Amino acid sequence: MKFSRKLLLWTTIIIAITLGLSGFYFVNYVFRTSLEREVGQALDENSILRFAFQTAALNVPLKYDLLQDGSVEQIASNLETSGQGSGRLLRLSDEGKEVLYASDGFEADAALLEQTAENRYAYRVIQEGERYYIQTGSSVNALGRDLYLETLRDVSQVFAERKMGFTVYRRLMVLMLVLGIVIMHFIASRLTKPIRLLMKATREMAAGDYGYRAEQVSSDELGQLTQDFNHMSEELEKTIGQLEEEVQSREEFVGAFAHELKTPLTSIIGYADMLRSRKLDEEKSFRSANYIYTEGKRLETMSLRLLDIMVTKKEGARLQKVSTETLFEYLRNMFLPREDMDFLFRYEEAVVTADASLIQTVLVNLIDNACKASESGSRIEIEGYAVEAASEEVERAARGKAEKRKVEKGKAERTERERAEMTGYWFGVRDYGIGIPEQEVSRVTQAFYMVDKSRSRSRNGAGLGLALCTEILALHGSRLEIRSVPGQGTTAGFFLWEEGKEAAV
Amino acid sequence: MMIKILIVDDEKPICDLIDMNLSAAGYFCVAVQDGLAAIEAVEKNNFDLVLLDIMLPGADGYDVMEYIRPFKVPVIFISAKHEVKDRVRGLKLGADDYLIKPFDVTELLARVEAVLRRYNKTDKVIMLGDVEIDMEARRVTRSGSPVSLTSKEFDLMLLFVENRNVALFRENLYERVWDDEYFANSRTLDLHVQRLRKKLGWEKNLVAVYKVGYRLEL
Repeated sequence: MKFSRKLLLWTTIIIAITLGLSGFYFVNYVFRTSLEREVGQALDENSILRFAFQTAALNVPLKYDLLQDGSVEQIASNLETSGQGSGRLLRLSDEGKEVLYASDGFEADAALLEQTAENRYAYRVIQEGERYYIQTGSSVNALGRDLYLETLRDVSQVFAERKMGFTVYRRLMVLMLVLGIVIMHFIASRLTKPIRLLMKATREMAAGDYGYRAEQVSSDELGQLTQDFNHMSEELEKTIGQLEEEVQSREEFVGAFAHELKTPLTSIIGYADMLRSRKLDEEKSFRSANYIYTEGKRLETMSLRLLDIMVTKKEGARLQKVSTETLFEYLRNMFLPREDMDFLFRYEEAVVTADASLIQTVLVNLIDNACKASESGSRIEIEGYAVEAASEEVERAARGKAEKRKVEKGKAERTERERAEMTGYWFGVRDYGIGIPEQEVSRVTQAFYMVDKSRSRSRNGAGLGLALCTEILALHGSRLEIRSVPGQGTTAGFFLWEEGKEAAV
Repeated sequence: MMIKILIVDDEKPICDLIDMNLSAAGYFCVAVQDGLAAIEAVEKNNFDLVLLDIMLPGADGYDVMEYIRPFKVPVIFISAKHEVKDRVRGLKLGADDYLIKPFDVTELLARVEAVLRRYNKTDKVIMLGDVEIDMEARRVTRSGSPVSLTSKEFDLMLLFVENRNVALFRENLYERVWDDEYFANSRTLDLHVQRLRKKLGWEKNLVAVYKVGYRLEL
């Protein structure tokens, strides 16, 4: 059963019971008080009659010592008629409780008389046909006789009122119930509205509409629940979005990977097939074999790079305190002997927290890329210097400063005070090569992405270098910053941030 | 007149591979490595067929296809993109065929042949020594007198003729002629080859290649 129906049903039941019980109690209470009043009056009447009888008995001429039965009848008859049509009913009995006089219609049995004794009242409520009476009984002493006086008082009105009360109350209750049900129906449906809205929201979400939100219509616990639910949905949607993005990027990766795998495979299979099935002249045989070799090498490079990425992802970085001097010395030894490019190293001495071999990999990759983008013999600048605070704004400012610093060369030495405040270190590689078109800058870190395929192919690129760099830098809590102007060159680099000021000193 | 084929692929090794094989099969090939160069080449020359890669620098294969469609040159896409939607897109753009990398060279040749045949660009009658083969009528005559070949024999012969001087592997032959798996000890192929030798007088031309299969040397 619906919650609102349940609420309605129970409220109705409770209203009915309360109304019924209170009504019953109230009507009965009124009835009882009326009856008591009537009883009191009946007893009063009895007393009055008793005195009237005694008075009348005293006025009887004293022919006898004892009041005669005839006189009793006479007095009783007088008393009855003196009621002036109020329907006074009385009965008189003698010592033996034998009836001496009874009004017409006084038909009650003698049960009450049995309880009546000298100086003792007794009364009871009796029913005769449709009518109700209060029968009272008392003893009367008059002229040496102990008589018993009984009266009847008609209290049908009280009973009729009770009956009437019940009838009215029943009607009232039905009316109240109907009214109550109608009102409760509205209240219940209003109270349960948040539940219904939530229900709809869960169904919509189950059907795949993760963007659906339940409308908040109240500020009570249910409203709070709606709020929490919506909050949960938002988190859920975010997570799902992330997962979808991840899946998509993974799919893209797999697609790109398949493509990159198939291309060299096509050559390898094709040339190998030619070699085994054709009689080729020497020149063609050599070319075929050479293609198989170079394409095989390409596959090797790619698989090694992929392996690097996977291993890096899995093993993480072993962060240690490293002197930048060591890092740059390694690069100098590696690149300065090369004659084809003009390498220029410019760096500040500092200590950074990093995995030295991974950071070296990144820098080697960046320098390799710079070489690939440049004409033979052109200049490649490798720079390193400390920067001050780790906020985005400062990062940007730092980049601006880097530009300025390039102009005013040779200001490598910093004061002790500056050194104490530094919290980060910038590594940068600048070339004056072909540059990267603006719309491609954001995509160069994607796996297998190559701005100029034939160019990077001819230089043994797999399109994975920057993807690896991104992975490594993520382990250091950093990311690759690339600024490039097509035709003028590219600056690629990254910041390494230290957590505390003292850590950098 | 030699049939001219344009090869468009950004990978030099693959261009060379296709070039070497098609040239050996008697076609004249031109290879370019980017989309714009391909469009230019089609505009300037009258090619009989274009073999088009999809991932190209300059303009991608779909764009090139769109652009050269008015020239009514038959096109075969050769791409590593293997998904149905890519293939459907290529074919819907008006390509005549779609070949997925890595491909088999014999398959490439057969498809090139098939597309050219559809455009009536191949010779319908091939003369090989004293043997004359009418591809359309599937009729073979030797020194003027008709030679009766079974359907399988004809298919097998056609495969050898299309791949002259190329050693054809047993598994390949089974796959192409019998649409079947290769069973190591099956004699079916050998029997058919023997009958072809006898019927066409190719005892010396149709040579067995040790551990490989057979080659038609002409």
